[in-house]
Amino acid sequence: MSSSPPPSSAAASPSCPKKMIALRSSDGETFEIEEAAALQSKTLENMIDEDCAGTPIPLPNVTGKILAKVVEFCSKHAEPGVDDESLRAWDAEFVNVEQATVFDYILAANFLEIPTLLNLTCNVVADMIRGKTPDEIRKFFNIKSIFSPEEEEEVRRENHWAFE
Amino acid sequence: MEIQPSFAADSLPSGPRLVAGVVTALCLLLALAGLLLALAPLKSKKKPSSASSNKQPAGSKACGCACTCGPSAPDSDSAPMAVGATYVNGGAGAVEAAAAAAAAVAAAERQSGASMMEQLVPEITTHALSYLDYPSLCRLSMTNSLMRKAANDDNAWKALYHKDFTLEQDGVTPVNGWKAYYAATRAIVNINLEFFNIIRESSLQSMSRLWLNADYVKCVHASGELFSGYNAVIQGWQLAFNWEQGVDFQVRDVRVRVLRDMAWVTMKTFVDMDTGPFNMTNVFEFHNGRWYMVHHHSSMMVMDGDLDQQNIHG
Repeated sequence: MSSSPPPSSAAASPSCPKKMIALRSSDGETFEIEEAAALQSKTLENMIDEDCAGTPIPLPNVTGKILAKVVEFCSKHAEPGVDDESLRAWDAEFVNVEQATVFDYILAANFLEIPTLLNLTCNVVADMIRGKTPDEIRKFFNIKSIFSPEEEEEVRRENHWAFE
Repeated sequence: MEIQPSFAADSLPSGPRLVAGVVTALCLLLALAGLLLALAPLKSKKKPSSASSNKQPAGSKACGCACTCGPSAPDSDSAPMAVGATYVNGGAGAVEAAAAAAAAVAAAERQSGASMMEQLVPEITTHALSYLDYPSLCRLSMTNSLMRKAANDDNAWKALYHKDFTLEQDGVTPVNGWKAYYAATRAIVNINLEFFNIIRESSLQSMSRLWLNADYVKCVHASGELFSGYNAVIQGWQLAFNWEQGVDFQVRDVRVRVLRDMAWVTMKTFVDMDTGPFNMTNVFEFHNGRWYMVHHHSSMMVMDGDLDQQNIHG
């Protein structure tokens, strides 16, 4: 990185130092993220436009644990000069986590409006569903089955066409 | 000599105090049992979700703290609180304590029964569903009532229709919803495929089963010949099969329009590089639980010499 004067909170200097945005998670942890990375989130983009003083942006819907990873994701995706293949590999590693964590990422990506992360995580969930029988899907996501006998018949009628 | 237990005979309370002591002991035992019952299923509940991946960080909850959208609190928090209430309320009798503990277990089950998948805000579920193919979407709808509602979403099936078939018919509102329309379209696409496979195999028997045995069915071949009525149509195919066997061709741009018991399909058929595509139309009717072909029309094969003649008449 080239040396540049330390950023002032009042205004960005012409030599364009990296402006850091402060975020505060629901459990009070603070994180710093580069502006370029923060702009990946539409929610943050809107907030940054309005805010000038640099007080930490409170994110009541995201815990520190998840926010740390989200910051990591956005920073990686804002990095210049990363080729598609290694980024894809990095993404694959990023979502190689517990089911519960993937869902947390989805909720955070939805709240912060980060399309890249949302697409990535929804794709992961779709992969979890694809190819499984209803029983396997139930087991995997811990879904309780509560169909009445009439409903069972309706369900069969609605779906048998897909498996002929 | 006998070693007496420390609570020798004289330390045993007598009469009413004995009864009170036994009752208290019973209450405590039952409450303890209830507490154990409440905690045990929670432990087993954590296994399914974390067993799905290799990573198991210590003390991880089955449901992350960020789930503020759903009505239910994270499951691992609620049950101990409910059980604790039976203690706090104190004076609950033995039977009540056991019942309350059982109810707390049931409540915890119900809350955690709304799994993470179901707690996703509707628009996220729709977004995730948009990545699925139709068999997966169907299987998902078969898991439970909540997922059925989500996976049968009209917009999800409309999007899948546009992805798998055509961007046309965007302004159409199918009577039975887009899922049923998708299913009907899929059925017609399949039978249309079958028609071309029958031609490839030159199987007259299959062709006679495909067509409706009626006097109003018609078939116009690329030669320009028109055959009218079931028998003539089948004879026409016999001629076609005798004349040219084992033709291979490509079928593209298949567009289907399905109404309740009638459907029509347009397509382009490419035979080889020299001849341009044949524009074809097929019409099907639904009788006795299956689709039958009632009309086939192919654009004409253009011979080199005929081109001028075509223009005059065309």
